[in-house]
Amino acid sequence: MESLFYLFSGFRWQDAVDILLNTYILFRLYVLFRGTNVFRGLVAVFVLWGVSQIALTLGLIVTNWVMQGVIAVAALIVIIAFRNEISGVLKTKNLKSFLWGIPQYQIHTPLGIIAKSVNELAQKKIGALIVLPLKQGLDSVVQGGVSLEGKLSQEMLVSVFWPDSPMHDGAAIIQRDQIVSAGVILPLSKNEELPSFFGTRHRAASGLAELTDAMIIVVSEERGEITVFKEEDIIAVRDSQDLEKVLQENVGDEPTDKRFKNQAKELVAVGLISLFCTTGIWINFSKGMETLAEQEVPVEFINPDQKMEIISSTASSVKLLISGARPLIKSIRPEQINIKLNLSQSVVGNNKFVITQNNIKLPPGIHLKQIEPSELEVTLDTLVEKEIPIQPNWVGKLPDGLVMIKATTIPETMKIKGAGLALRDISTVFTEKIFLNNLTESGTIKAELVFNSPSIKMESEQKIQIRCVLSKKPTQ
Amino acid sequence: MLIFNRLYKYLKTFFWIFGIILFLFVADAGADSDKAIMVKAVMCESITNYQPINPAVVFSISQGEVFCYSMFDPVNEKTTISHKWYKKDQLIFSMKRNLSPPKWSTFSRIQIRNEDKGPWRVDISNEDNVLLQSLRFSMAD
Repeated sequence: MESLFYLFSGFRWQDAVDILLNTYILFRLYVLFRGTNVFRGLVAVFVLWGVSQIALTLGLIVTNWVMQGVIAVAALIVIIAFRNEISGVLKTKNLKSFLWGIPQYQIHTPLGIIAKSVNELAQKKIGALIVLPLKQGLDSVVQGGVSLEGKLSQEMLVSVFWPDSPMHDGAAIIQRDQIVSAGVILPLSKNEELPSFFGTRHRAASGLAELTDAMIIVVSEERGEITVFKEEDIIAVRDSQDLEKVLQENVGDEPTDKRFKNQAKELVAVGLISLFCTTGIWINFSKGMETLAEQEVPVEFINPDQKMEIISSTASSVKLLISGARPLIKSIRPEQINIKLNLSQSVVGNNKFVITQNNIKLPPGIHLKQIEPSELEVTLDTLVEKEIPIQPNWVGKLPDGLVMIKATTIPETMKIKGAGLALRDISTVFTEKIFLNNLTESGTIKAELVFNSPSIKMESEQKIQIRCVLSKKPTQ
Repeated sequence: MLIFNRLYKYLKTFFWIFGIILFLFVADAGADSDKAIMVKAVMCESITNYQPINPAVVFSISQGEVFCYSMFDPVNEKTTISHKWYKKDQLIFSMKRNLSPPKWSTFSRIQIRNEDKGPWRVDISNEDNVLLQSLRFSMAD
């Protein structure tokens, strides 16, 4: 139970959307491709992926590498080999049925009509090849043919195989109550154990039965015999009643209620399997690939006393060692992690803060492993105002014979504002360097004030004037 | 009426006593601040005959030394003053000087080297550490 809680710890609403969306995509793929060879191909690819994941978990590096290659090739093969079926699915579906439509129950295939037609063909010794597809699609197996889409009737089915009909050589495919196509070429069986009296029609029927789950009815032109092919079974049929019975056993529809219940059960089961698979994949991604990362996060000081100012802090940012799923770690934005220190209880001077989990906000699914440094020392001070004298910073050398006997700054003092502790040791504001070399007589010089401390602000302009008085040095 | 006369006498006595005590305090405080009055303070190149020579605000290090001269007149009783030498707000050294009545001139001196270039000041303060004057000057090439 605890491990289950761990698997879903930090579960976000985005994860729920992620799982549900992919469950639906998986479910739709089943609904769209069920009964086709594409679906079987997709199942095979999925199984291969499962094997590669198991190989990865067990540390079988080469097997995992090979499996990944095989998956890529298999996916390509599925697309190429079953392109007809894929395009068939995409063509026949409109947007509504593609996105959320559920296929309706099949319309009853009129087995009686088929049985009577086959019986008539047999009596008249007219060769016929009739295909009744079941769950699997035929598009990737059969070739050619003429699309008929005609309502099934005894007359129509007999006329398709009438010797003068241009389509009588191929097979007729019946789906629901329609002759979908005629003159279709089926793959021939290479089975050498077939009876020698079987002609091309029988070999074609056997070939299709070997590859699909379709039921194929063959009427021999020479002997007027009816044979039914279903997978490995070859059933000789005597008359229409016998044929109808065989057809009913294999193709016959279940009662509507039962079919509805079965389909509902099937879809619910598929939905649950899709949900289970997607959740498994999500757990594999989010927990299976847990990784460590280091993030440097700036510290945010909150609720400071308005009269106080932060003078210094032993660190302005903190290194956090975090763990979580690799995709989550990669998707972290700087604003999602923050460290807040509450200054409301702090006092003037040095304040020690221990950074704990409570001070740190992390996105869901991310866990904190280490804080470096875990302790901060913050110096706070009150803001004070002070008026201090200005002093020129003379450099260089006065021309020989001259002496500066007086230098007055305008203004003489400057008001500065800053932290009390910082201002305590400051009693003079100095000017920039003023060169003496070019001074030849008394006058006024402009200079800028220089302050290195960023926490101290001057109230007025930084430019001042210096009135200096020079005189000739008395000779000794 | 008698009560008022008595009250007046008591108040008169109280004010006399209070006045005498107040006078003694003020006189003592005044005497403290008037121990010595500074009349002149300058930075100069040298001292000759108790007089500053070449007062200035910029001194060349080639001179080798700088003097801080201060003159007190009157000096009512023996006291001390201090000359505190600062380079860019950092105290470099402090020197105490004795003053004796009736008037007194005193000075302190610093040997200057190449590293001493920059803005300086000397704070002259009395024995109660009250700042009497700040003399600001520079040492240059």
